[in-house]
Amino acid sequence: MIEHMYAAPENPARVVIMGATSFVGRHTEAALTARGVEVLGLGSADVDLLATDAAQKLSAHLQPDDALVIISAIAPCKNANELALNTRMMASVCDALAESPVAHVVYISSDAVYDDEANPIDEGTPTTPASLHGLMHVAREGMIRNSINCPLAILRPSLLYGADDPHNGYGPNRFRRLADDGQPIVLFGKGEERRDHVYIEDVGELIALSLLHRSQGVMNVATGQVASFHDIAEKVLALHHPDGAIETTPRQGPMPHGGFRSFVISECQKAFPTFRYADLDTGLARVQQQTTETS
Amino acid sequence: MTTSLPRIGFAGMTHLGLNSAAASAEKGFETLCFDPDAALIGRLRVGVLPVEEPDLGALLTKHAGRIEFTSDAAAMQRCDVVYVAPDVPTDDHGESDFTAIEALLQLAVAHAATSATLVVLSQVPPGFTRRHMAPSRQLFYQVETLIFGRAVERALFPERIIIGCADPKAALPDAYHNYLNAFDCPLLPMRLESAELAKISINCCLVASISTANTLAAICEGIGADWSEIAPALKLDKRIGEHAYLKPGLGIAGGNLERDLHTVIELGRAAAADVSVVEAWGRNSRRRRDWVLGKLHAHVFPKKDKARICVLGLAYKENTHSTKNSPGLALVHHLAPFQPVVYDPVVPPDAIDGMDVRVAASAMLGVKNADALAIMTPWDEFTLLDPQALRNEMAGNVIVDPYAVLDGADCISAGFQYHTLGKSMSRPDEARNQ
Repeated sequence: MIEHMYAAPENPARVVIMGATSFVGRHTEAALTARGVEVLGLGSADVDLLATDAAQKLSAHLQPDDALVIISAIAPCKNANELALNTRMMASVCDALAESPVAHVVYISSDAVYDDEANPIDEGTPTTPASLHGLMHVAREGMIRNSINCPLAILRPSLLYGADDPHNGYGPNRFRRLADDGQPIVLFGKGEERRDHVYIEDVGELIALSLLHRSQGVMNVATGQVASFHDIAEKVLALHHPDGAIETTPRQGPMPHGGFRSFVISECQKAFPTFRYADLDTGLARVQQQTTETS
Repeated sequence: MTTSLPRIGFAGMTHLGLNSAAASAEKGFETLCFDPDAALIGRLRVGVLPVEEPDLGALLTKHAGRIEFTSDAAAMQRCDVVYVAPDVPTDDHGESDFTAIEALLQLAVAHAATSATLVVLSQVPPGFTRRHMAPSRQLFYQVETLIFGRAVERALFPERIIIGCADPKAALPDAYHNYLNAFDCPLLPMRLESAELAKISINCCLVASISTANTLAAICEGIGADWSEIAPALKLDKRIGEHAYLKPGLGIAGGNLERDLHTVIELGRAAAADVSVVEAWGRNSRRRRDWVLGKLHAHVFPKKDKARICVLGLAYKENTHSTKNSPGLALVHHLAPFQPVVYDPVVPPDAIDGMDVRVAASAMLGVKNADALAIMTPWDEFTLLDPQALRNEMAGNVIVDPYAVLDGADCISAGFQYHTLGKSMSRPDEARNQ
């Protein structure tokens, strides 16, 4: 599902990151600059993709031998208005690329493009999203796929965590903040549902590898391992606040995703044989180390 | 030489034609082996075979006086029955290339006597034989059920012979009927399209069994059950049967089954039939192919970045030279950055041309200093490997042996971490927690 135009890695002439100030954007830039790749990071302050002149502004930044990473989005997409805004943003990107074609495009999508599946998800799983957020990414994937002629890699990350995550979603990031504040970690139900959590530096690394190989196709960004939210809470407490508490609450509705959402990651193993995901223990330990260093 | 027995010709000297011709000679028939490739015929005349198949060489030698190899199409004039029997190659999507069989069929029509019976033996889709009917010619389709590695046995002792006929109610031509009677099994004439679909149906049923076994074997690995304990119990069930394909594997390979899945999906679409179950078999197969790679990524590479991997077996199954869709070959390809060491007793080195691998001269030389061993083809000679000797030679202690070529308990006793299909080598309570 993903193939490399360059079998051996080769630094692109320059990488333009649209959404460079985002959680994923910062770690993408870090992974690239560590390899000596020239990066032009653009945020909404540089190019507002909802502005009427967005396409012209973005195209003015693009050069023919650039690689463009598209991360910018209003996420999570929660309503029809945000869906419309997100597609408008992608329309601006597509118009910019029509005006100023580049050598390679990497679009950061989401595993939300897949509906809940009884089977482990892989890149061949149909994209029939149940959420507006997933629908938004499917639409944007289709928009970019049908707008460019250069190689396109679409990466679909699962749940992300890291020390500098600005979001406070249910999971490792919120649990860690609660633990650091000495508050109990409150679980939905008993925290039984099991999900695949990816350490943010691995996302940056895989985006960088895709750029260096000028990869094209689709690849999920998931570790292939699932952990329950209860297990994650225990691990976070052990690292951040060993005396902290976990509280369970009566579940109000059915478990999200039927309580289980796992991935088969052989496409990643084949595409990047020497890449290793940080397992949950390793990733959480790095977060703990980074938050300790910065506190 | 005159004989009351019909003279049988085979056009196309690849796996199917060659094994079928050997069976014809063994049954006592004067047999003509034609192929337009003069160089191939030259090699066959001196006993150099293009395929690896148990007993094939011995049978051809035994009946050398009864077998004529020729690249002269006019020789087919002397045959009473001419089988058109080249292997039909497929691409990566299971799509067939009929160029060779159509060319051979044209030659047979042009050169065989008008009284001769022509039979398509190659694997073709429904409608193919009827489309290629020539005026004033008797053209039949006969289902082949050869198995790579057991082709001679299957050609000699078919369970039944399925014959596609333009008119199933009409008697078979005498010469053809006499020849088929030599196989002493039920003859099942039916309409051409039925026979062509029967071949595909057989393979679909086999794939269904294999896919079921694969799925249940994967569950066994997760819950501490052992598929090798369950499968014999199923075979005693008359509705399943003692010969049922219940061995879990690394996905379908070899080309023929993949071709039939592709064909049945195409046919289903044309007939507006629901083929989602067939597509699911394909997905199951593709996922199982990566089982060994997943084990190495889970148990070897996290501990050693530059692990040295030894891969034993490149053929897609034992007793064949074929590497078509071989899981072993795919694994070697995906391990390229690790420069794996490979060994196969039959597959020639050109199968791995262009791959960054080291070829060992024997299994034991291959495993020397290896961190992990993957046994990808259940060749007999690998069953003789002594786990303790392997442990002494290897640097690491991981064996991935999908087909249980080695005794898992012996491997664990020798200090190995042992992984096989359909069984977790951990205790059941540990397996559930993995």
